[in-house]
Amino acid sequence: MKQSHTAAIELGTTWEGAFETEPYETAWASEAIFFVRLLDGELAPSTTARVQIAPDGIHWANEGTEITLPTGSDTTTFARVSHFGGWLRLVGELPSGVSLPVIVHLVLKE
Amino acid sequence: MHTAEALGPLDPLQRLLYCDDFNTGVNGWGSLIGNYEDRVDAMLPEYMDMRPPMLSNLSMWDAGTSGAIGGSYGLKLATRPKPGRFCVAIKRSTFRSWGPLRVEAIYTFKPEAAALELGETGVRAFGVLLDLQHADGQAAEPLRVMPHVRYLNALDGERVERWQYKSEREPFVDIGTRNKTWSHFHLKSTNWVDIPRGDQRLCYNEIATKHNWYYMRLDFDLATMNFLGFRSNERDLDVTGIEPMQIPAMPNLWSMLNVAFFVESDADTRAFFYLDRVAVSTT
Repeated sequence: MKQSHTAAIELGTTWEGAFETEPYETAWASEAIFFVRLLDGELAPSTTARVQIAPDGIHWANEGTEITLPTGSDTTTFARVSHFGGWLRLVGELPSGVSLPVIVHLVLKE
Repeated sequence: MHTAEALGPLDPLQRLLYCDDFNTGVNGWGSLIGNYEDRVDAMLPEYMDMRPPMLSNLSMWDAGTSGAIGGSYGLKLATRPKPGRFCVAIKRSTFRSWGPLRVEAIYTFKPEAAALELGETGVRAFGVLLDLQHADGQAAEPLRVMPHVRYLNALDGERVERWQYKSEREPFVDIGTRNKTWSHFHLKSTNWVDIPRGDQRLCYNEIATKHNWYYMRLDFDLATMNFLGFRSNERDLDVTGIEPMQIPAMPNLWSMLNVAFFVESDADTRAFFYLDRVAVSTT
């Protein structure tokens, strides 16, 4: 049976301006899904965040995948990634004046 | 891995409750989540700040992967990169007899090697705690008992290198509106007391990417709810007479046997704490 793991990497965190999730080690996994749930508020359509990878959890590069962020309260979006090596995080920037509480899950599978 | 192999350098009591080496998953070690009602962000701010533990193969930017002692993976706790931030991993179970309990761990700690410097004061503290409650009917005046032990590595940028305990509890805060949910941040970095002759210099090594592994052992009596012993590497510390944190029993926690490890940062870098393996045993 394959190993799998769900990490709630942000739990009610308020995003404002530029944001980044804390680095999460993923060396054992071969596939991942980032889920972003907006708890309250509204966001203009087409606001995105980028998936980043790193060799060491310190020096980051864009992986190429983008996730379109949810636009309304209690809505969820996701992005799938694979072949990402040892570390994953999500980075982005909200429009000026926008402040949103979010839950971010990282769902990993061997 | 077979249990005997996973035990490796550990020395458990007769009945092994569990032995985890983190090569096949997190084995029940998860986030310490603060209590809340209605909204997840109703939890106390210290709990909001914590991130979940993760499986790590200890890859450094300069040396590459070293892995853990017993295989590729260990369990890693990581704080956010600000002073006074915490990360906790907790495993929740219950006990079926009351007598001596032993918690053993092979562990190491370091700050994130984001700067080319020693970083020996980047980690403020790490430690182990138990969250226990008498079994239903075990005691005339049942208690929730929370023994806490930490190694204060550094404070405000200065090395301390001393083992401490905490007896004084933090006040409970009523969370929500139903009078059912309370919370307290018992790890708060105040009211810790030095364990007598608890100074101990550990092998930190010479740069932030080199890890040396250590041994710790906590012995606690579930019958009397008192400390029996604490060992760090070669040294037995005198914990006789040290009072664990005590609280009147709570409505839903009977026979609770929770074990947690924690780390606190002292600088603008992430503080890391790694577990190679953990064993919990009773007589």
